[in-house]
Amino acid sequence: MFKGAFSIWGRDMLVLRRSIISELVSVIAYPLTLYLAFGFGLKGYITDVNGVPYPLFIAPGLISMTAVNAAFDESSWSMWFHRKVQRTIEEYRVTPVTVYDIVIGKIFSGFSQGAVKGTVVFLVILLLTPFRIEYAHLPMYLLCIALSSMTFSCLGTICGTVIDKPENIGRVQSVVIVPLIFMAGIFFPLSSYPPSILPLIQLLPTTAVFEGARDALLTGAIPSQYLVNLVLSAALCFTIAVYTFNRKMAE
Amino acid sequence: MTHAITLHDITKSYDGFTAVDEFSLEVQRGTVFGLLGPNGAGKTTLIKILTTLMRPTLGDAFVEGHSVLTAGKEVRRMIGVVPQENNLDRYLTARENLALHAKLHGMRPAAYNPRIDELLDMTGLAARQYDFPDTFSGGMQRRLVVARALVHEPRVLFLDEPTTGLDPQSRRSLWDHIRGLRRSMTVFLTTHYMDEADALCDRIMIMDHGKTLADGTAGELKDAFSRAHTYQVEFRRDADRYQGVLAGLPFVKGVERDGSLFQITLADEESIKPLMDHLTGPDIRRICLKEPTLEDVFISLTGEKVRE
Ligand SMILES: Nc1ncnc2c1ncn2[C@@H]1O[C@H](COP(=O)(O)OP(=O)(O)OP(=O)(O)O)[C@@H](O)[C@H]1O
Ligand SMILES: [Mg+2]
Repeated sequence: MFKGAFSIWGRDMLVLRRSIISELVSVIAYPLTLYLAFGFGLKGYITDVNGVPYPLFIAPGLISMTAVNAAFDESSWSMWFHRKVQRTIEEYRVTPVTVYDIVIGKIFSGFSQGAVKGTVVFLVILLLTPFRIEYAHLPMYLLCIALSSMTFSCLGTICGTVIDKPENIGRVQSVVIVPLIFMAGIFFPLSSYPPSILPLIQLLPTTAVFEGARDALLTGAIPSQYLVNLVLSAALCFTIAVYTFNRKMAE
Repeated sequence: MTHAITLHDITKSYDGFTAVDEFSLEVQRGTVFGLLGPNGAGKTTLIKILTTLMRPTLGDAFVEGHSVLTAGKEVRRMIGVVPQENNLDRYLTARENLALHAKLHGMRPAAYNPRIDELLDMTGLAARQYDFPDTFSGGMQRRLVVARALVHEPRVLFLDEPTTGLDPQSRRSLWDHIRGLRRSMTVFLTTHYMDEADALCDRIMIMDHGKTLADGTAGELKDAFSRAHTYQVEFRRDADRYQGVLAGLPFVKGVERDGSLFQITLADEESIKPLMDHLTGPDIRRICLKEPTLEDVFISLTGEKVRE
Protein backbone atom coordinates (compact mmCIF):
# COMPACT_ATOMS: atom_id res chain seq x y z
CA MET A 1 0.00 0.00 0.00
CA PHE A 2 1.31 3.44 -0.96
CA LYS A 3 4.77 2.21 -1.87
CA GLY A 4 4.54 4.59 -4.81
CA ALA A 5 3.75 7.51 -2.51
CA PHE A 6 6.78 6.56 -0.46
CA SER A 7 9.04 6.51 -3.55
CA ILE A 8 7.81 9.92 -4.69
CA TRP A 9 8.26 11.33 -1.19
CA GLY A 10 11.74 9.76 -1.13
CA ARG A 11 12.60 11.55 -4.36
CA ASP A 12 11.54 14.90 -2.88
CA MET A 13 13.53 14.30 0.30
CA LEU A 14 16.62 13.39 -1.73
CA VAL A 15 16.34 16.66 -3.62
CA LEU A 16 15.74 18.58 -0.38
CA ARG A 17 18.82 16.99 1.20
CA ARG A 18 20.95 18.20 -1.69
CA SER A 19 20.00 21.83 -1.28
CA ILE A 20 19.31 21.85 2.45
CA ILE A 21 21.92 24.47 3.39
CA SER A 22 20.80 27.15 0.96
CA GLU A 23 17.15 26.35 1.65
CA LEU A 24 17.66 26.73 5.37
CA VAL A 25 19.56 29.99 5.14
CA SER A 26 16.73 31.58 3.21
CA VAL A 27 14.04 30.03 5.35
CA ILE A 28 15.61 31.08 8.65
CA ALA A 29 16.36 34.64 7.61
CA TYR A 30 12.72 35.74 7.47
CA PRO A 31 11.35 34.60 10.86
CA LEU A 32 14.60 35.52 12.56
CA THR A 33 14.38 39.05 11.18
CA LEU A 34 10.79 39.32 12.36
CA TYR A 35 11.76 37.98 15.75
CA LEU A 36 14.57 40.45 16.17
CA ALA A 37 12.65 43.38 14.73
CA PHE A 38 9.45 42.84 16.68
CA GLY A 39 10.75 40.97 19.69
CA PHE A 40 13.53 43.41 20.46
CA GLY A 41 12.32 46.48 18.62
CA LEU A 42 8.98 46.52 20.41
CA LYS A 43 10.15 45.13 23.71
CA GLY A 44 10.35 48.57 25.24
CA TYR A 45 6.81 49.38 24.18
CA ILE A 46 5.09 46.08 24.82
CA THR A 47 6.41 44.48 27.92
CA ASP A 48 4.09 41.57 27.98
CA VAL A 49 0.85 40.28 26.51
CA ASN A 50 -1.51 38.75 29.04
CA GLY A 51 1.47 38.13 31.28
CA VAL A 52 3.63 36.54 28.59
CA PRO A 53 6.83 38.43 27.66
CA TYR A 54 6.46 39.73 24.11
CA PRO A 55 9.38 37.80 22.51
CA LEU A 56 8.00 34.63 24.07
CA PHE A 57 4.52 35.58 22.86
CA ILE A 58 5.56 35.81 19.20
CA ALA A 59 8.17 33.02 19.00
CA PRO A 60 5.78 30.03 18.74
CA GLY A 61 3.84 31.83 16.03
CA LEU A 62 6.97 32.53 14.03
CA ILE A 63 7.95 28.90 14.18
CA SER A 64 4.47 27.78 13.13
CA MET A 65 4.44 30.39 10.41
CA THR A 66 7.70 29.07 9.00
CA ALA A 67 6.34 25.55 9.02
CA VAL A 68 3.01 26.31 7.34
CA ASN A 69 4.57 28.69 4.82
CA ALA A 70 7.18 26.11 3.88
CA ALA A 71 4.52 23.43 3.56
CA PHE A 72 2.32 25.60 1.34
CA ASP A 73 5.26 26.80 -0.76
CA GLU A 74 6.67 23.37 -1.39
CA SER A 75 3.34 21.75 -2.18
CA SER A 76 2.04 24.43 -4.50
CA TRP A 77 5.21 25.14 -6.46
CA SER A 78 6.36 21.57 -6.60
CA MET A 79 2.99 20.32 -7.82
CA TRP A 80 2.85 23.07 -10.42
CA PHE A 81 6.45 22.52 -11.51
CA HIS A 82 6.09 18.76 -11.84
CA ARG A 83 2.79 19.09 -13.64
CA LYS A 84 3.41 22.01 -16.00
CA VAL A 85 7.17 22.48 -16.40
CA GLN A 86 8.93 19.18 -15.96
CA ARG A 87 5.84 17.06 -16.64
CA THR A 88 7.21 14.45 -14.28
CA ILE A 89 3.65 13.84 -13.05
CA GLU A 90 2.98 12.36 -16.48
CA GLU A 91 5.98 10.07 -16.08
CA TYR A 92 4.69 8.92 -12.68
CA ARG A 93 1.26 8.34 -14.20
CA VAL A 94 2.43 5.82 -16.79
CA THR A 95 3.82 3.57 -14.05
CA PRO A 96 1.62 1.27 -11.93
CA VAL A 97 1.31 3.85 -9.13
CA THR A 98 -2.12 5.44 -8.74
CA VAL A 99 -3.07 9.11 -8.62
CA TYR A 100 -3.57 8.62 -4.87
CA ASP A 101 0.07 7.58 -4.52
CA ILE A 102 1.14 10.69 -6.35
CA VAL A 103 -0.98 13.20 -4.47
CA ILE A 104 -0.31 11.63 -1.08
CA GLY A 105 3.43 11.49 -1.78
CA LYS A 106 3.37 15.16 -2.72
CA ILE A 107 1.30 16.17 0.31
CA PHE A 108 3.74 14.42 2.60
CA SER A 109 6.67 16.11 0.91
CA GLY A 110 5.14 19.51 1.66
CA PHE A 111 4.40 18.38 5.19
CA SER A 112 7.99 17.21 5.65
CA GLN A 113 9.41 20.47 4.38
CA GLY A 114 7.23 22.30 6.87
CA ALA A 115 8.31 20.02 9.69
CA VAL A 116 12.04 20.24 8.86
CA LYS A 117 12.07 24.00 8.40
CA GLY A 118 9.88 24.65 11.45
CA THR A 119 12.19 22.54 13.58
CA VAL A 120 15.28 24.32 12.35
CA VAL A 121 13.82 27.76 13.03
CA PHE A 122 12.83 26.53 16.46
CA LEU A 123 16.38 25.40 17.17
CA VAL A 124 17.86 28.62 15.86
CA ILE A 125 15.56 30.78 17.99
CA LEU A 126 16.40 28.58 20.95
CA LEU A 127 20.10 28.95 20.27
CA LEU A 128 20.28 32.66 19.55
CA THR A 129 17.75 34.09 21.97
CA PRO A 130 16.68 33.78 25.57
CA PHE A 131 13.48 32.04 24.41
CA ARG A 132 13.01 28.94 26.60
CA ILE A 133 10.27 26.38 26.79
CA GLU A 134 8.99 23.63 29.00
CA TYR A 135 10.06 20.44 27.23
CA ALA A 136 7.10 18.54 28.60
CA HIS A 137 4.95 20.79 26.41
CA LEU A 138 6.78 19.85 23.25
CA PRO A 139 4.66 16.85 22.11
CA MET A 140 1.44 18.90 22.04
CA TYR A 141 3.21 21.69 20.23
CA LEU A 142 4.57 19.28 17.64
CA LEU A 143 1.11 17.78 17.15
CA CYS A 144 -0.21 21.25 16.49
CA ILE A 145 2.57 22.02 13.99
CA ALA A 146 2.07 18.66 12.27
CA LEU A 147 -1.66 19.19 11.82
CA SER A 148 -1.18 22.71 10.51
CA SER A 149 1.61 21.72 8.12
CA MET A 150 -0.71 19.03 6.83
CA THR A 151 -3.49 21.52 6.23
CA PHE A 152 -1.23 23.97 4.44
CA SER A 153 0.45 21.28 2.41
CA CYS A 154 -2.99 20.18 1.20
CA LEU A 155 -3.96 23.77 0.42
CA GLY A 156 -0.73 24.15 -1.54
CA THR A 157 -1.40 20.93 -3.40
CA ILE A 158 -4.87 22.18 -4.36
CA CYS A 159 -3.40 25.44 -5.69
CA GLY A 160 -0.61 23.68 -7.56
CA THR A 161 -3.17 21.33 -9.09
CA VAL A 162 -5.82 23.78 -10.29
CA ILE A 163 -3.67 26.82 -11.08
CA ASP A 164 -1.83 26.71 -14.40
CA LYS A 165 -0.21 30.15 -14.41
CA PRO A 166 2.61 30.62 -11.89
CA GLU A 167 1.77 34.28 -11.21
CA ASN A 168 -1.61 33.17 -9.91
CA ILE A 169 0.02 30.98 -7.29
CA GLY A 170 1.94 34.06 -6.14
CA ARG A 171 -1.36 35.96 -5.99
CA VAL A 172 -3.06 33.32 -3.88
CA GLN A 173 -0.12 33.50 -1.51
CA SER A 174 -0.28 37.25 -1.06
CA VAL A 175 -4.07 37.62 -1.11
CA VAL A 176 -5.10 34.54 0.87
CA ILE A 177 -2.25 32.93 2.75
CA VAL A 178 -0.38 35.96 4.09
CA PRO A 179 -3.54 37.77 5.36
CA LEU A 180 -4.77 34.54 6.94
CA ILE A 181 -1.48 34.25 8.80
CA PHE A 182 -1.22 37.88 9.90
CA MET A 183 -4.87 38.18 10.95
CA ALA A 184 -4.52 35.18 13.19
CA GLY A 185 -2.69 36.91 16.00
CA ILE A 186 0.96 36.08 15.69
CA PHE A 187 1.97 39.57 16.73
CA PHE A 188 -0.96 40.67 18.85
CA PRO A 189 -3.50 39.00 21.12
CA LEU A 190 -6.87 38.19 19.61
CA SER A 191 -8.48 40.29 22.33
CA SER A 192 -7.40 43.32 20.29
CA TYR A 193 -10.18 42.55 17.82
CA PRO A 194 -13.58 44.19 18.30
CA PRO A 195 -15.88 41.65 19.97
CA SER A 196 -18.16 41.67 16.92
CA ILE A 197 -15.63 40.05 14.57
CA LEU A 198 -13.72 38.00 17.14
CA PRO A 199 -15.89 34.86 16.70
CA LEU A 200 -15.17 34.94 12.97
CA ILE A 201 -11.44 35.27 13.52
CA GLN A 202 -11.56 32.37 15.96
CA LEU A 203 -13.00 30.16 13.25
CA LEU A 204 -10.05 30.71 10.92
CA PRO A 205 -7.86 27.63 10.60
CA THR A 206 -4.82 29.87 11.01
CA THR A 207 -6.11 31.11 14.36
CA ALA A 208 -6.25 27.53 15.50
CA VAL A 209 -2.72 27.10 14.18
CA PHE A 210 -1.16 30.05 15.93
CA GLU A 211 -3.22 30.30 19.09
CA GLY A 212 -3.17 26.55 19.43
CA ALA A 213 0.59 26.41 18.98
CA ARG A 214 1.19 29.16 21.50
CA ASP A 215 -1.11 27.60 24.09
CA ALA A 216 0.45 24.21 23.48
CA LEU A 217 3.93 25.55 24.01
CA LEU A 218 3.11 27.72 27.00
CA THR A 219 0.62 25.49 28.80
CA GLY A 220 1.13 22.02 27.34
CA ALA A 221 -2.47 21.72 26.12
CA ILE A 222 -4.28 22.71 22.95
CA PRO A 223 -7.70 24.25 23.69
CA SER A 224 -10.26 21.71 22.47
CA GLN A 225 -11.95 24.20 20.16
CA TYR A 226 -8.66 24.72 18.30
CA LEU A 227 -7.74 21.05 18.32
CA VAL A 228 -11.06 20.15 16.70
CA ASN A 229 -10.57 22.94 14.19
CA LEU A 230 -7.06 21.70 13.34
CA VAL A 231 -8.09 18.10 12.90
CA LEU A 232 -11.15 18.98 10.83
CA SER A 233 -9.23 21.43 8.63
CA ALA A 234 -6.51 18.89 7.97
CA ALA A 235 -9.01 16.14 7.17
CA LEU A 236 -11.14 18.39 4.98
CA CYS A 237 -8.19 19.86 3.07
CA PHE A 238 -6.71 16.41 2.58
CA THR A 239 -9.97 15.11 1.13
CA ILE A 240 -10.37 18.12 -1.14
CA ALA A 241 -6.74 17.91 -2.30
CA VAL A 242 -7.00 14.23 -3.19
CA TYR A 243 -10.36 14.74 -4.89
CA THR A 244 -9.16 17.79 -6.84
CA PHE A 245 -6.01 16.09 -8.05
CA ASN A 246 -7.94 13.01 -9.06
CA ARG A 247 -10.41 15.13 -11.02
CA LYS A 248 -7.68 17.15 -12.70
CA MET A 249 -5.86 14.00 -13.81
CA ALA A 250 -9.05 12.51 -15.29
CA GLU A 251 -9.43 15.48 -17.66
CA MET B 1 -4.69 -14.02 -27.90
CA THR B 2 -2.09 -12.67 -30.30
CA HIS B 3 -2.97 -8.97 -30.19
CA ALA B 4 -0.88 -6.77 -27.97
CA ILE B 5 -3.05 -3.73 -28.59
CA THR B 6 -6.71 -3.53 -29.52
CA LEU B 7 -8.77 -0.38 -30.02
CA HIS B 8 -12.55 -0.54 -30.34
CA ASP B 9 -14.18 2.51 -31.90
CA ILE B 10 -12.15 4.97 -29.87
CA THR B 11 -13.42 8.54 -30.02
CA LYS B 12 -11.85 11.48 -28.22
CA SER B 13 -13.41 14.93 -28.30
CA TYR B 14 -12.00 18.09 -26.77
CA ASP B 15 -15.08 20.17 -26.07
CA GLY B 16 -16.73 19.76 -29.43
CA PHE B 17 -13.62 19.13 -31.52
CA THR B 18 -13.08 15.48 -32.45
CA ALA B 19 -9.38 14.62 -32.32
CA VAL B 20 -9.84 10.85 -32.73
CA ASP B 21 -12.90 9.56 -34.54
CA GLU B 22 -14.18 5.98 -34.08
CA PHE B 23 -10.68 4.59 -34.42
CA SER B 24 -10.27 0.82 -34.42
CA LEU B 25 -7.04 -1.13 -34.62
CA GLU B 26 -5.37 -4.38 -33.69
CA VAL B 27 -1.62 -4.67 -33.35
CA GLN B 28 0.02 -8.09 -33.55
CA ARG B 29 2.32 -9.10 -30.71
CA GLY B 30 6.04 -8.79 -31.31
CA THR B 31 5.74 -6.40 -34.24
CA VAL B 32 6.76 -2.81 -34.79
CA PHE B 33 3.72 -0.69 -35.63
CA GLY B 34 4.13 2.80 -37.05
CA LEU B 35 1.52 5.53 -36.92
CA LEU B 36 2.02 8.37 -39.39
CA GLY B 37 0.05 11.54 -39.83
CA PRO B 38 0.45 15.30 -40.19
CA ASN B 39 0.59 17.64 -37.17
CA GLY B 40 -2.67 17.44 -35.26
CA ALA B 41 -3.74 14.13 -36.84
CA GLY B 42 -4.41 12.64 -33.40
CA LYS B 43 -1.33 10.44 -32.89
CA THR B 44 -0.36 11.72 -29.47
CA THR B 45 -3.99 11.64 -28.38
CA LEU B 46 -4.13 7.94 -29.26
CA ILE B 47 -0.93 7.22 -27.34
CA LYS B 48 -2.25 9.11 -24.31
CA ILE B 49 -5.40 7.01 -24.38
CA LEU B 50 -3.43 3.77 -24.69
CA THR B 51 -1.10 4.73 -21.84
CA THR B 52 -4.05 5.68 -19.56
CA LEU B 53 -3.09 9.35 -19.40
CA MET B 54 -6.40 10.27 -20.99
CA ARG B 55 -9.80 8.63 -21.05
CA PRO B 56 -11.49 8.15 -24.40
CA THR B 57 -14.82 9.93 -24.84
CA LEU B 58 -16.27 6.74 -26.33
CA GLY B 59 -15.01 3.23 -26.92
CA ASP B 60 -12.47 1.08 -25.12
CA ALA B 61 -8.91 -0.05 -25.76
CA PHE B 62 -6.95 -3.05 -24.51
CA VAL B 63 -3.24 -3.51 -23.94
CA GLU B 64 -2.21 -7.13 -23.48
CA GLY B 65 -5.87 -7.88 -22.78
CA HIS B 66 -6.30 -5.23 -20.06
CA SER B 67 -8.84 -2.48 -20.56
CA VAL B 68 -7.52 1.07 -20.28
CA LEU B 69 -10.86 2.02 -18.73
CA THR B 70 -11.13 -0.57 -15.99
CA ALA B 71 -7.64 -2.02 -15.54
CA GLY B 72 -5.36 0.99 -15.89
CA LYS B 73 -2.90 -0.27 -13.32
CA GLU B 74 -2.43 -3.61 -15.13
CA VAL B 75 -2.02 -1.73 -18.43
CA ARG B 76 0.66 0.47 -16.90
CA ARG B 77 2.52 -2.55 -15.57
CA MET B 78 2.88 -3.78 -19.17
CA ILE B 79 3.95 -0.60 -20.91
CA GLY B 80 6.97 1.61 -21.40
CA VAL B 81 6.38 5.13 -22.65
CA VAL B 82 8.59 7.63 -24.48
CA PRO B 83 6.49 10.80 -24.66
CA GLN B 84 6.74 13.34 -27.46
CA GLU B 85 8.42 15.82 -25.08
CA ASN B 86 11.16 14.65 -22.73
CA ASN B 87 9.91 14.64 -19.16
CA LEU B 88 13.09 13.90 -17.24
CA ASP B 89 13.57 15.04 -13.68
CA ARG B 90 16.27 17.69 -13.87
CA TYR B 91 16.90 17.55 -10.11
CA LEU B 92 17.88 13.88 -10.29
CA THR B 93 20.97 12.43 -11.96
CA ALA B 94 20.54 10.22 -15.01
CA ARG B 95 20.91 7.15 -12.86
CA GLU B 96 18.49 8.40 -10.23
CA ASN B 97 15.93 9.08 -12.95
CA LEU B 98 16.10 5.43 -13.95
CA ALA B 99 16.11 4.21 -10.34
CA LEU B 100 13.01 6.23 -9.42
CA HIS B 101 11.21 4.77 -12.41
CA ALA B 102 12.19 1.26 -11.29
CA LYS B 103 10.91 1.96 -7.77
CA LEU B 104 7.60 3.22 -9.11
CA HIS B 105 7.38 -0.16 -10.84
CA GLY B 106 7.94 -1.83 -7.49
CA MET B 107 11.41 -3.14 -8.38
CA ARG B 108 14.05 -3.78 -5.71
CA PRO B 109 17.62 -2.42 -5.95
CA ALA B 110 19.01 -5.93 -6.49
CA ALA B 111 16.83 -6.22 -9.60
CA TYR B 112 17.08 -2.72 -10.98
CA ASN B 113 20.76 -1.91 -10.48
CA PRO B 114 22.13 -4.49 -12.95
CA ARG B 115 19.35 -3.63 -15.39
CA ILE B 116 20.19 0.07 -15.17
CA ASP B 117 23.90 -0.67 -15.75
CA GLU B 118 22.99 -2.62 -18.84
CA LEU B 119 20.73 0.12 -20.23
CA LEU B 120 23.26 2.87 -19.52
CA ASP B 121 25.83 0.86 -21.46
CA MET B 122 23.40 0.22 -24.30
CA THR B 123 22.54 3.91 -24.64
CA GLY B 124 26.14 5.05 -24.23
CA LEU B 125 25.33 7.08 -21.13
CA ALA B 126 27.31 5.09 -18.56
CA ALA B 127 30.04 7.74 -18.29
CA ARG B 128 27.47 10.46 -17.61
CA GLN B 129 25.19 8.56 -15.24
CA TYR B 130 25.95 10.80 -12.24
CA ASP B 131 25.27 14.01 -14.18
CA PHE B 132 22.01 15.90 -14.30
CA PRO B 133 20.01 15.64 -17.52
CA ASP B 134 19.93 19.37 -18.19
CA THR B 135 23.67 19.16 -18.87
CA PHE B 136 22.94 16.61 -21.64
CA SER B 137 22.50 17.25 -25.36
CA GLY B 138 19.05 16.72 -26.82
CA GLY B 139 20.06 13.34 -28.20
CA MET B 140 21.44 12.15 -24.88
CA GLN B 141 18.28 13.22 -23.08
CA ARG B 142 16.20 11.35 -25.62
CA ARG B 143 18.26 8.20 -25.15
CA LEU B 144 17.86 8.51 -21.40
CA VAL B 145 14.07 8.72 -21.81
CA VAL B 146 14.18 5.57 -23.96
CA ALA B 147 16.36 3.80 -21.38
CA ARG B 148 13.91 4.81 -18.66
CA ALA B 149 11.00 3.32 -20.61
CA LEU B 150 12.87 0.01 -20.78
CA VAL B 151 14.00 -0.35 -17.14
CA HIS B 152 11.10 -2.59 -16.12
CA GLU B 153 11.20 -4.66 -19.34
CA PRO B 154 7.78 -3.68 -20.67
CA ARG B 155 5.78 -5.93 -22.97
CA VAL B 156 4.56 -3.02 -25.08
CA LEU B 157 6.66 0.05 -25.80
CA PHE B 158 5.07 3.34 -26.92
CA LEU B 159 7.35 5.82 -28.66
CA ASP B 160 5.93 9.21 -29.64
CA GLU B 161 8.28 10.65 -32.28
CA PRO B 162 11.33 9.02 -30.71
CA THR B 163 13.93 10.45 -33.09
CA THR B 164 12.72 14.00 -33.57
CA GLY B 165 15.66 16.34 -33.07
CA LEU B 166 18.33 13.64 -33.21
CA ASP B 167 21.37 13.71 -35.50
CA PRO B 168 21.63 10.96 -38.14
CA GLN B 169 24.02 8.90 -36.02
CA SER B 170 21.77 8.94 -32.98
CA ARG B 171 18.75 8.15 -35.14
CA ARG B 172 20.46 5.11 -36.65
CA SER B 173 21.61 3.87 -33.28
CA LEU B 174 18.10 4.28 -31.85
CA TRP B 175 16.72 2.40 -34.85
CA ASP B 176 19.13 -0.42 -34.08
CA HIS B 177 17.87 -0.56 -30.48
CA ILE B 178 14.27 -0.64 -31.65
CA ARG B 179 15.01 -3.39 -34.17
CA GLY B 180 16.68 -5.34 -31.38
CA LEU B 181 13.49 -5.10 -29.30
CA ARG B 182 11.24 -6.47 -32.00
CA ARG B 183 9.79 -9.93 -31.15
CA SER B 184 10.64 -9.62 -27.46
CA MET B 185 8.14 -6.77 -27.20
CA THR B 186 5.54 -4.96 -29.23
CA VAL B 187 6.54 -1.48 -30.36
CA PHE B 188 4.00 1.23 -31.17
CA LEU B 189 5.65 4.32 -32.59
CA THR B 190 4.65 7.56 -34.26
CA THR B 191 6.93 9.44 -36.60
CA HIS B 192 7.07 12.16 -39.20
CA TYR B 193 10.01 10.52 -40.97
CA MET B 194 9.01 8.28 -43.86
CA ASP B 195 12.45 6.65 -44.00
CA GLU B 196 12.07 5.78 -40.33
CA ALA B 197 8.72 4.11 -40.89
CA ASP B 198 10.11 2.36 -43.95
CA ALA B 199 13.17 1.10 -42.10
CA LEU B 200 11.54 0.01 -38.85
CA CYS B 201 7.90 -0.82 -39.13
CA ASP B 202 6.32 -4.17 -39.93
CA ARG B 203 3.10 -2.32 -40.44
CA ILE B 204 2.31 1.30 -41.13
CA MET B 205 -0.91 3.20 -40.64
CA ILE B 206 -1.45 6.67 -42.01
CA MET B 207 -4.05 8.76 -40.21
CA ASP B 208 -5.45 12.26 -40.44
CA HIS B 209 -8.27 14.13 -38.70
CA GLY B 210 -8.58 11.25 -36.25
CA LYS B 211 -9.30 8.63 -38.90
CA THR B 212 -7.32 5.90 -40.67
CA LEU B 213 -6.43 6.63 -44.30
CA ALA B 214 -4.25 3.66 -45.20
CA ASP B 215 -2.85 0.58 -43.52
CA GLY B 216 -0.32 -2.05 -44.56
CA THR B 217 3.39 -2.80 -44.89
CA ALA B 218 5.56 -0.14 -46.50
CA GLY B 219 5.62 -2.25 -49.68
CA GLU B 220 1.84 -2.65 -49.78
CA LEU B 221 1.25 1.04 -49.32
CA LYS B 222 3.67 1.93 -52.12
CA ASP B 223 2.13 -0.71 -54.39
CA ALA B 224 -1.38 0.48 -53.75
CA PHE B 225 -0.34 3.97 -54.70
CA SER B 226 1.68 3.10 -57.74
CA ARG B 227 -1.80 2.68 -59.21
CA ALA B 228 -1.83 6.43 -59.08
CA HIS B 229 0.46 6.23 -62.16
CA THR B 230 2.69 9.19 -61.98
CA TYR B 231 4.93 9.68 -65.01
CA GLN B 232 7.85 12.04 -65.35
CA VAL B 233 8.09 13.64 -68.77
CA GLU B 234 10.84 16.02 -69.80
CA PHE B 235 10.33 18.08 -72.98
CA ARG B 236 12.98 19.36 -75.37
CA ARG B 237 10.81 22.26 -76.51
CA ASP B 238 7.28 23.68 -76.41
CA ALA B 239 6.89 23.05 -72.68
CA ASP B 240 4.45 25.96 -72.36
CA ARG B 241 2.21 24.67 -75.12
CA TYR B 242 2.22 21.16 -73.64
CA GLN B 243 1.22 22.53 -70.26
CA GLY B 244 -1.98 23.84 -71.83
CA VAL B 245 -2.59 20.60 -73.70
CA LEU B 246 -2.08 18.45 -70.62
CA ALA B 247 -4.36 20.61 -68.50
CA GLY B 248 -7.17 20.02 -71.00
CA LEU B 249 -6.98 16.19 -71.06
CA PRO B 250 -9.78 14.50 -69.06
CA PHE B 251 -7.68 11.51 -67.94
CA VAL B 252 -4.86 13.65 -66.52
CA LYS B 253 -5.48 14.00 -62.80
CA GLY B 254 -2.63 16.29 -61.97
CA VAL B 255 0.28 18.15 -63.50
CA GLU B 256 3.27 19.54 -61.65
CA ARG B 257 5.82 21.51 -63.60
CA ASP B 258 9.41 22.36 -62.86
CA GLY B 259 10.88 24.06 -65.95
CA SER B 260 10.65 21.55 -68.76
CA LEU B 261 10.14 18.61 -66.35
CA PHE B 262 6.52 17.55 -65.77
CA GLN B 263 5.04 15.14 -63.25
CA ILE B 264 1.84 13.83 -64.74
CA THR B 265 -0.59 11.82 -62.66
CA LEU B 266 -3.00 9.73 -64.74
CA ALA B 267 -6.43 8.43 -63.84
CA ASP B 268 -5.60 4.78 -64.60
CA GLU B 269 -3.21 2.42 -66.32
CA GLU B 270 -4.94 2.64 -69.74
CA SER B 271 -4.51 6.40 -69.91
CA ILE B 272 -0.88 6.15 -70.96
CA LYS B 273 -1.89 5.38 -74.57
CA PRO B 274 -4.15 8.39 -75.18
CA LEU B 275 -1.52 10.50 -73.41
CA MET B 276 1.13 9.41 -75.90
CA ASP B 277 -1.26 10.32 -78.75
CA HIS B 278 -1.10 13.92 -77.61
CA LEU B 279 2.68 14.08 -77.33
CA THR B 280 4.99 14.27 -80.31
CA GLY B 281 7.96 11.92 -80.10
CA PRO B 282 10.82 14.28 -80.97
CA ASP B 283 9.62 16.86 -78.43
CA ILE B 284 10.22 14.43 -75.59
CA ARG B 285 13.67 14.16 -74.07
CA ARG B 286 12.73 11.55 -71.46
CA ILE B 287 9.65 9.75 -70.13
CA CYS B 288 9.56 7.36 -67.20
CA LEU B 289 7.27 5.87 -64.57
CA LYS B 290 7.88 7.36 -61.16
CA GLU B 291 8.23 4.86 -58.31
CA PRO B 292 6.25 6.22 -55.37
CA THR B 293 8.05 6.76 -52.09
CA LEU B 294 6.27 6.46 -48.78
CA GLU B 295 6.38 10.23 -48.74
CA ASP B 296 4.37 10.40 -51.98
CA VAL B 297 1.82 8.05 -50.48
CA PHE B 298 1.67 10.24 -47.40
CA ILE B 299 1.32 13.50 -49.33
CA SER B 300 -1.29 12.11 -51.70
CA LEU B 301 -3.35 10.90 -48.74
CA THR B 302 -3.04 13.86 -46.46
CA GLY B 303 -2.71 16.72 -48.94
CA GLU B 304 0.01 19.28 -49.42
CA LYS B 305 -1.33 22.05 -47.29
CA VAL B 306 0.53 22.90 -44.10
CA ARG B 307 -1.58 22.39 -40.97
CA GLU B 308 -2.41 25.29 -38.74
N1 LIG C 1 -5.70 19.21 -24.40
C1 LIG C 1 -6.25 19.52 -25.59
N2 LIG C 1 -7.30 20.36 -25.66
C2 LIG C 1 -7.86 20.66 -26.85
N3 LIG C 1 -7.44 20.18 -28.03
C3 LIG C 1 -6.39 19.35 -28.02
C4 LIG C 1 -5.74 18.97 -26.81
N4 LIG C 1 -4.74 18.12 -27.12
C5 LIG C 1 -4.76 17.98 -28.44
N5 LIG C 1 -5.76 18.70 -29.00
C6 LIG C 1 -6.10 18.77 -30.42
O1 LIG C 1 -6.29 17.45 -30.89
C7 LIG C 1 -5.75 17.30 -32.19
C8 LIG C 1 -4.81 16.12 -32.22
O2 LIG C 1 -3.68 16.41 -31.43
P1 LIG C 1 -2.47 15.41 -31.26
O3 LIG C 1 -1.53 16.01 -30.27
O4 LIG C 1 -3.00 14.06 -30.96
O5 LIG C 1 -1.82 15.42 -32.70
P2 LIG C 1 -0.50 14.70 -33.23
O6 LIG C 1 -0.92 13.81 -34.33
O7 LIG C 1 0.25 14.09 -32.11
O8 LIG C 1 0.31 15.94 -33.82
P3 LIG C 1 1.91 16.22 -33.86
O9 LIG C 1 2.43 15.49 -35.03
O10 LIG C 1 1.98 17.69 -34.07
O11 LIG C 1 2.48 15.79 -32.56
C9 LIG C 1 -5.09 18.61 -32.55
O12 LIG C 1 -5.94 19.31 -33.42
C10 LIG C 1 -4.97 19.34 -31.23
O13 LIG C 1 -5.13 20.72 -31.44
MG1 LIG D 1 2.05 14.36 -31.28
